[in-house]
Amino acid sequence: MRRWLYVVLTAALAVAVAVWAIPHFDEPGWFGYVGQSVPGIVPPLPSLSPDLFLFPVSAQIVLLAVGIGLLVQIYSTAYLGHHPRYRSYALIIILFLVAMIAVVGTTNLWVVLVGWEVMGLCSYLLIGHEWQTPEARAGAAKAFLITRIADLGLVLAILVIGETYGTYDMIGASAAMSDDGPQSSTVIGLLVLVAVVGKSAQFPLHTWLPDAMPGPTPITALIHAATMVAAGVYLAARLFQFYADSAVVLTAMAVIAGITMLMGAVFAFVQTDLKRALAWSTVSQLALMFAAISAGHPAAGTDHLLAHGVFKALLFLGCGCLMHAVGSSALSAMGGLRRSMPATFWSMTVGFAALAGVVPTAGFFTKDSVLEALLHADRELPGGVGVALFAVALLTSLITAAYAARLWILAFLVRAPDERRAVTHDAPHAMTGPIVVLAVATLALSIGQPFHLGIGLLSTAIAAAGIAAVFVAWRNGRSLDLDAPWLTAELGLDRPYARWIPATLRSSAQAVVDVDRDGVDAYSYGSAFVAHRVSRVLALVQSGNVQRYATVIAAGVIVVTAAAVIWA
Amino acid sequence: MIAAALTIPFTVGLGLLFLRKLVSGRAAAGLGAASMAVSLVLLALVWEGKDTISGEVDTEWIEPLGARLHLGATAISWPFLLMTAFIGLLCCVWLIAGDTAPALVGLVLIISASSLGVFASLDFLLFFVFFELALIPMWFVISWWGDPHDSAGRTRAATRFLLFTVTGSALLLVGIVLVARDSGSLQFTEIDGGPLVAAVLIVLGFAVKTPLVPLHTWLPDAHSKAPTVGSVLLAAVFLKLGTYGLIISSGLLSASFADVAPYVAGAGVVGIIWSALACYAQDDLKRLIAYSSIGHMGFVALAISTMSPIGIAAAVFGSVAHGLVTGLLFFLSGSLKDRFGTASMRAIGRGLYARTPWLAVAFVFAAVASLGLPGLAGFWGELLSLRAAYEVGVLDKPYAWTALGLAVLGVALTTAYFVRAIRLLAQGEPVAQEADRDLAVRESVVSVALVVSILVLGLAPGLIVGLYDSGSTVTYEGTYTAVTP
Repeated sequence: MRRWLYVVLTAALAVAVAVWAIPHFDEPGWFGYVGQSVPGIVPPLPSLSPDLFLFPVSAQIVLLAVGIGLLVQIYSTAYLGHHPRYRSYALIIILFLVAMIAVVGTTNLWVVLVGWEVMGLCSYLLIGHEWQTPEARAGAAKAFLITRIADLGLVLAILVIGETYGTYDMIGASAAMSDDGPQSSTVIGLLVLVAVVGKSAQFPLHTWLPDAMPGPTPITALIHAATMVAAGVYLAARLFQFYADSAVVLTAMAVIAGITMLMGAVFAFVQTDLKRALAWSTVSQLALMFAAISAGHPAAGTDHLLAHGVFKALLFLGCGCLMHAVGSSALSAMGGLRRSMPATFWSMTVGFAALAGVVPTAGFFTKDSVLEALLHADRELPGGVGVALFAVALLTSLITAAYAARLWILAFLVRAPDERRAVTHDAPHAMTGPIVVLAVATLALSIGQPFHLGIGLLSTAIAAAGIAAVFVAWRNGRSLDLDAPWLTAELGLDRPYARWIPATLRSSAQAVVDVDRDGVDAYSYGSAFVAHRVSRVLALVQSGNVQRYATVIAAGVIVVTAAAVIWA
Repeated sequence: MIAAALTIPFTVGLGLLFLRKLVSGRAAAGLGAASMAVSLVLLALVWEGKDTISGEVDTEWIEPLGARLHLGATAISWPFLLMTAFIGLLCCVWLIAGDTAPALVGLVLIISASSLGVFASLDFLLFFVFFELALIPMWFVISWWGDPHDSAGRTRAATRFLLFTVTGSALLLVGIVLVARDSGSLQFTEIDGGPLVAAVLIVLGFAVKTPLVPLHTWLPDAHSKAPTVGSVLLAAVFLKLGTYGLIISSGLLSASFADVAPYVAGAGVVGIIWSALACYAQDDLKRLIAYSSIGHMGFVALAISTMSPIGIAAAVFGSVAHGLVTGLLFFLSGSLKDRFGTASMRAIGRGLYARTPWLAVAFVFAAVASLGLPGLAGFWGELLSLRAAYEVGVLDKPYAWTALGLAVLGVALTTAYFVRAIRLLAQGEPVAQEADRDLAVRESVVSVALVVSILVLGLAPGLIVGLYDSGSTVTYEGTYTAVTP
């Protein structure tokens, strides 16, 4: 079984990472400054020395990445096992994980950048894995272009950090900062913000993530949970100290997070496709993490990142099981799968509960930590922004609970569509195994999480209200599809990327080609024309006519003589 | 050793030209590859360290003019020398095929040897002689072995190429004469500054070769009509004659070059945007790659115009990386043209991933390297250019930062047109054609060699950048010092 070779390779990688990462769990300090590094006045020339180093949080994230990567590889042996291009698929997943390790496990900013962009390339290749279909091609190209344009922000941010602190080493830069205080924090922060907004699909660079759905479902799980988008939140938290004192950056991040979390939740509520709904849900949840960072609590953000990584991987892989059974990701093709797919049903129930924030899942605790952080947000954020952000987050929790309940009901509880062939058995073990593991992890990760009583009661009440509203509507026989065409069209926010920018690019490119041919080249044709005319004129004196030569010579002699006489 | 490294390929090349009736194409290419390999090894061995002139040769030549046969490898020229010999070697390997004309191998060797001569010269007149010597063989390569389906077009392209570059050379020669009169010497080690008019003429001369917008219009035609090895040599080596010349003149004429630098930067940055937009509308793959070269050279020009040590490192790295990456792109588009008789992406058709998997993978790799993915060679040159512009050398701050912003926009546009090319060629519903053949052995050897070198330079940029670390300055015996801000 050659497919299992890649599982073994991934497992080896995962074991190596675990051996490296687990001892770092208990170390004190979050991303605090440790050790020393002597920065110069001028930053050194860039190098790619690995400079491996793990903080406790990075250790957890890197372990999450390889863990989910391993589960995805196992899952794929069944889900995609007979694909003719399985080799390239599995190898790119491994490259993807290595890139994520590079981002998380180093202190060298250039290594971070390499991993960061290699991840972008890997997601481009994997989203476009089914490159015969136009949707996959378009989705892949869009993901790559948007994230790469945003990545330029990171390139510039690294340059500015280097110029400001004299080193490209994160620890060295923090050392320099602890001596001299933070500098250029607004510029650095805004550039980092551009980078992470693109990578983590936040407003207004969010449209690539839902369009990345033509990729194979295990890949979606990998991108949404463990790598790509997680890297954005991680980096924002990791570099937090470089922009922590800039109110401009924090406010901008808070506004972006507020818009994105509400928008993502509303769009997730109106989707008719399970996979796309989950994609919007990721957008919304990531915004929640950014909100925590902007409120000055990056640790709450990374905690939610870990919990979300586990339960979102669970939901996407579960969605893959459902697609495997009914052959489509449309919600209308699902329903009535509770009894025939028990393992998938119970695991995904845990996943949806965590998404909705139901006690005692990990999602409940980490989301409450985020809300707790936002409650005190007005310390970091000016005036009304902090309060508004908290209110938006509560509203988002309500909608999140509602759409989680809606998706759960539509996928499992409603009557199966008549035209569908009966689903008689659950997905293969290689597929149900990973989601059961993830469901257990979703529950187990709640052990030892901090608990905030007031916020906990409030958020439980909100989640219960959201779930109950959907249940009541369903029990009363009302349709759970919201009839709001402008919402299902996602407010036309994709139009600039889908139409205006490509159209502008095409027309200006055509104009450039025309000008290049007819305009810029004019001087060469012009000089050729002039040379031709001059040669025609000069040819007159070489006509071969001796009389004309004699005349010219005589005229010349006269002119020379006259000149000599006059100026002599 | 340097003299031998130049003479061996030159002699073998001349021999092949005269004895073209007596040898088979395959044997000729093998012989050429061997001689280039020897040259490459010699050039690698000649290195003595970055603070000195390696393998210096200095003998009398034209005494009345003060011109000497003065050769040597410096920290600036050594990477160019190695890259040129490497590309020359790969071109010969590429030609190991049944239908190769021995005379073409001879011309390739002469072009490579002349270009090596340019990079190894430490005398301005000798530099110029080699510079011209490389031109004429290229005219034959394009007009005799160019696009077999368009004989009128290839002759026109060749003549256009020759007229543009000879005009540039004429300006360059006048500039050299002015510099020599001003300094009383033709030796790089002794020239110290020159009049502004000389700097203008010399920069114009090199700008045609580089090429900088708006002197670039010869390039797309020449590249797209030339045979595969011709395109590769044009892109990988010929354009570098221009950028190397600009680097040299920025050092030799530093004071007057500083007055010209803003124009060089402007032309470079406009070229980045201009060529990226032009690429987006191309259908002919070779034309697309040719235009993309203009953009990459724009980054190099921007770096040189800052006249800072970082700028020099950026220019050398960018030039060498462009040689490797664009060399690979032209080899692969040559493979496609050999198979399908055209480089039109529409005619070649979609779905090469399925039809010729390894060729498609190599193409996508080269495209990704060319669009500057970090970790591959193409990235570091661009990055160092941006950093040089950010640190602001001789340019004004607003000017340099505007240039920086436009260059960043250019990077984004570059991604867009390469993604479009990948979408049109590699991806898509495959429609098999009769000519679908995956990489042959010689093509694989060349591709693997280039892929490996792109990876190595991308993962260990220090190999080149280390020559210019900020502790040491790049000098010609103390006269070459880059202007520091």
